[in-house]
Amino acid sequence: MTLPLFLAAAQGAAQPGIVETFGLETKYIIMQVVSFLIVLGVLYKFGIKPVTATMEERNRKIEAGIRHAEEMQAKLAATQAESALIVKQAHGEAERIVDEARKTAKDFLDKQTQEATAKANDLIAKAQQATQLEHRRMLAEARAEVARLVVTTTERVLARKLTDADRAAYNDAATRELTGV
Amino acid sequence: MASGKKQTQQYARQLLELSLVNGAVSLERVAGVLAHLERNRPVNVLGILRAYHRLVAGAVARGQAVVEHAGSIHDQALADIAAAMSRRYGRPITGSARRNNALLAGLRVRVGDDVYESSVAGQLAQLAAAV
Repeated sequence: MTLPLFLAAAQGAAQPGIVETFGLETKYIIMQVVSFLIVLGVLYKFGIKPVTATMEERNRKIEAGIRHAEEMQAKLAATQAESALIVKQAHGEAERIVDEARKTAKDFLDKQTQEATAKANDLIAKAQQATQLEHRRMLAEARAEVARLVVTTTERVLARKLTDADRAAYNDAATRELTGV
Repeated sequence: MASGKKQTQQYARQLLELSLVNGAVSLERVAGVLAHLERNRPVNVLGILRAYHRLVAGAVARGQAVVEHAGSIHDQALADIAAAMSRRYGRPITGSARRNNALLAGLRVRVGDDVYESSVAGQLAQLAAAV
């Protein structure tokens, strides 16, 4: 604002009136310019520059904070994804273990059932065999007893009924049989 | 101990061979063997005499057919049986009769350890065993 007025005053110097009108003097203008530059320099050094540095520092911190937040968010998302994956894997593993446990339990139950069935069949077979053996033994004993009774009875009957002539005839036949040995 | 027993048996067997005539025990030979033992008593004469007695008894049994019978038996049948056994064993065998009513009817001939039987009791026993 001061400089255009100064220029306008310089152009109009030929024409008296403006410089004189406004009372402009070169030395004051130069002093004001120097003063302005000094103030500007002081303001820049102690005002604008620290403020700018502070703002840049804050901007850097804010950007770092934002980056950190973004990184944290990314890490959180990655962690959540990893957690979800781990949970999914754990769920799958748990299902596999449960299925395996069910299968093992079923196999064990089947095996126990088969063993119990085999033992029961074995017991039944042994019982049947023992019954058959006992039956055969009783039949053999009964047969032997009947035979013994028949033989004893026959011997008693023959001892009473055989005459001397019968015995003599039988002895002759036995003699022929034995001499033909 | 076992060797002494074996020697005793062997000596008794030699004495038995001296007592046989044509495979049959001779009374005279036995008397001679006993007289020899009386004169020359060997060690363990008692054991030798026991073994000799056992061997002579076996030889006599092998030379004799004991015919057990129920009812009467003819002398000719006894002689026929002795002849048949002599032919079978290839040595002279004499027959001797012994009554045994348990046979009911028929004969049982025993030569040594061999037994031949044709009797009602024997057939009944076979029947009982078969049933």
